[in-house]
Amino acid sequence: MGFFLSTALKDVRRRLADPIALALWIGIPALIGGLMSLAMGGDGGTPKARVLLVDQDDTFLSGLLASGGGPLAEFIEVETVGLEEGRERIDDGDGTALLILPAGFVEAVLKEEPATLQLVVNPSQRILPSIVQQFLEALVDGTFYLQRLLGEQLRELAEGPLDGASFFGDAKLAELSMSINQRMKSLESTLFPPVIKLEEVLDDPPEEQESFNFALLMLPGIIFMSLLFVAQGVSEDVWQEKNMGTLRRMISTPQSVAAFLAGKVAAGSLIALAVSAMGIGVAMTMHEVPFVLIPVMLLWCTFFGAAAVIFFTLIQVLASNERGGNVLTMVVLFPLMMIGGCFFPFEAMPNWMASVGKWTPNGLAVLRLKDLLNGQFSAAALGSAVLGIGLPAALAFLLAVRRLRGSFVIA
Amino acid sequence: MIELTSLRKEYGDLVAVDGVEFAAQAGEIFGLLGPNGAGKSTTIGCISGLLQPTAGRVRVLGHDIVADAVAAKQLLGIVPQELALYEDLSARENLAYWGGAYGLRGAELRGRVDTVLETIGLLDRAKEPVKKYSGGMKRRLNFGCGVIHEPKVLLLDEPTVGVDPQSRVRLLDLVRAQAESGTCVLYTTHYMEEAQDLCDRLAIMDNGKIIALGTLEELRGELDERDLLRLTGTFDAQRTRAALAGVDEAEVVHVDETSLMISMPDAWSKLPAVFGALAAADADVRATTMTQPSLETLFIKLTGRELRE
Ligand SMILES: Nc1ncnc2c1ncn2[C@@H]1O[C@H](COP(=O)(O)OP(=O)(O)O)[C@@H](O)[C@H]1O
Ligand SMILES: [Mg+2]
Repeated sequence: MGFFLSTALKDVRRRLADPIALALWIGIPALIGGLMSLAMGGDGGTPKARVLLVDQDDTFLSGLLASGGGPLAEFIEVETVGLEEGRERIDDGDGTALLILPAGFVEAVLKEEPATLQLVVNPSQRILPSIVQQFLEALVDGTFYLQRLLGEQLRELAEGPLDGASFFGDAKLAELSMSINQRMKSLESTLFPPVIKLEEVLDDPPEEQESFNFALLMLPGIIFMSLLFVAQGVSEDVWQEKNMGTLRRMISTPQSVAAFLAGKVAAGSLIALAVSAMGIGVAMTMHEVPFVLIPVMLLWCTFFGAAAVIFFTLIQVLASNERGGNVLTMVVLFPLMMIGGCFFPFEAMPNWMASVGKWTPNGLAVLRLKDLLNGQFSAAALGSAVLGIGLPAALAFLLAVRRLRGSFVIA
Repeated sequence: MIELTSLRKEYGDLVAVDGVEFAAQAGEIFGLLGPNGAGKSTTIGCISGLLQPTAGRVRVLGHDIVADAVAAKQLLGIVPQELALYEDLSARENLAYWGGAYGLRGAELRGRVDTVLETIGLLDRAKEPVKKYSGGMKRRLNFGCGVIHEPKVLLLDEPTVGVDPQSRVRLLDLVRAQAESGTCVLYTTHYMEEAQDLCDRLAIMDNGKIIALGTLEELRGELDERDLLRLTGTFDAQRTRAALAGVDEAEVVHVDETSLMISMPDAWSKLPAVFGALAAADADVRATTMTQPSLETLFIKLTGRELRE
């Protein structure tokens, strides 16, 4: 115990010897959050992406799209404009993106004919346009599935009543809604659960609306992105210990390598705690964070940070040299952040990606933190997430210890 | 104090340490002398518990380093060949951390840290981070970290490599002081002079094996007061050997196309006979040096190679 503590203290002292690097790490969430706010032309509150929509199609369905709504209503503001005006305003840097719905678009989609959407993004905004783009891709994906599944019924709706009548007959409507109903039922057991999920989100906006606020949408991802960066940086320290010869010296003392590594992980966790506190502090400025759950949030984020330090440390000690270790950890880091809801929120991802990403450790962490920020505390959900991340981390710890006192130190 | 029996360490096909055996006593400086790659660091690594021996045993005051590792390691102090320090921490913090790793706590630890800081002459700069120290100061701190817990056995692996002459003298004094206080010191080096000056007993190591062991006097005795004659020029190995066979007590240690080494007693008086024989063998001699018996000539006699190749 004594050695565990003195090792943790030793590492904390070493970090404090370079306060600028430490401050940068702790500042990452504020930094990224701030940059994003700026990129959104942040007027405080909830920054929005303003999409200028040119609706040349002018159908019932395109009108639905133009009226905004959807899961990102709070986040993406849709304004219908004329083509000339739209182009001018995007050139002036007013608006995040210009979306042009060409004439015949909806019809083409419904008839499974090739259709093109035009998106002009504002070059002076760096982050938001790509979110809009991602969101749109998700939407197109969803539309594609939707029309694959319900195409027949939709086509009938779009083509309007036959033989010149201005309305569908009651019987025809009943028949249509029956067949749509049947389709939906049979879907529940088909291969496309993500599509159904999307439907549910669309169907049930009032509950969801509340949560699509910047703090909730982006910040959890930013916090875990910061934690992953910090964990990756902290994990490089095993190479420092090796290069400085201190790992060899440690192994020749009567102390256990497990206590040594645990001490190092503990020191890394303290940095993770500071980063989490910073992140949640930023969240508090944007969103009403439930007070009693703050300790749980801090614990959860720090727990994730500790586990990430262990995973990255294992990767480092498995590599045959320092550069290899760093490349390898980066190769793991970026895809994890990409699909695990750290770069783009799950809400802005294609469905397949989101459903995979939610099972990554950071994806899991993001979801649980969102619950907490929403004031939802579920011991079962958190407990299973702790086990799901904790057990592999414990295994990784044991493997790392073996490797540290074996071939890693000698080679 | 420390006892090695048929110690062997293999790295794949390479046998780095091959049946090494010796024992060293309290208050003694035992030297391990050998060229680079002889297996000195590997031997130290096995003793310190860093490396797992392939075969054989190491015992520290009776404690087996493998079976009874914690007890054995507690008695050992190590000054590694490469520095092993936290550059961001101060001398005091480094000493306190390593002292803590050997179970020192509280007032006892603080007392030891002060004592060691004074011994290694870093008391006035104890609070500065190590990265601001000169090379010599770091070496002394590296030594200090190895003795912070007053080990019964101190292992030093080439502690003076790359150290300026002044710091070297100081470091060697520190090593002597350790032995005088009753510590058993195991000292590896490839500097013959250092081994000669410092060590009470010596093992000469080459290719993983101990090729000679004893006090300095005993080792010199093995040379039978023979001088070493080193010649450079052009030689025909076979004809040179044949010609020198006729010179009284001359023993060819090594000969190739450009160099020749002869071991013989009282070489000075036999120089004319040697040159006569070489002339008869059509050898062309360009330079000659004569060395009196030393560890270096012993090493050359035993291996046919220079120590510093
Ligand atoms: N980790 C290792 N893997 C493979 N070979 C090694 C390793 N360490 C040392 N060796 C080899 O073992 C031999 C002895 O090395 P070493 O003990 O470092 O010699 P010394 O300290 O006397 O210079 C050398 O041939 C060296 O190349
Ligand atoms: Mg060596």
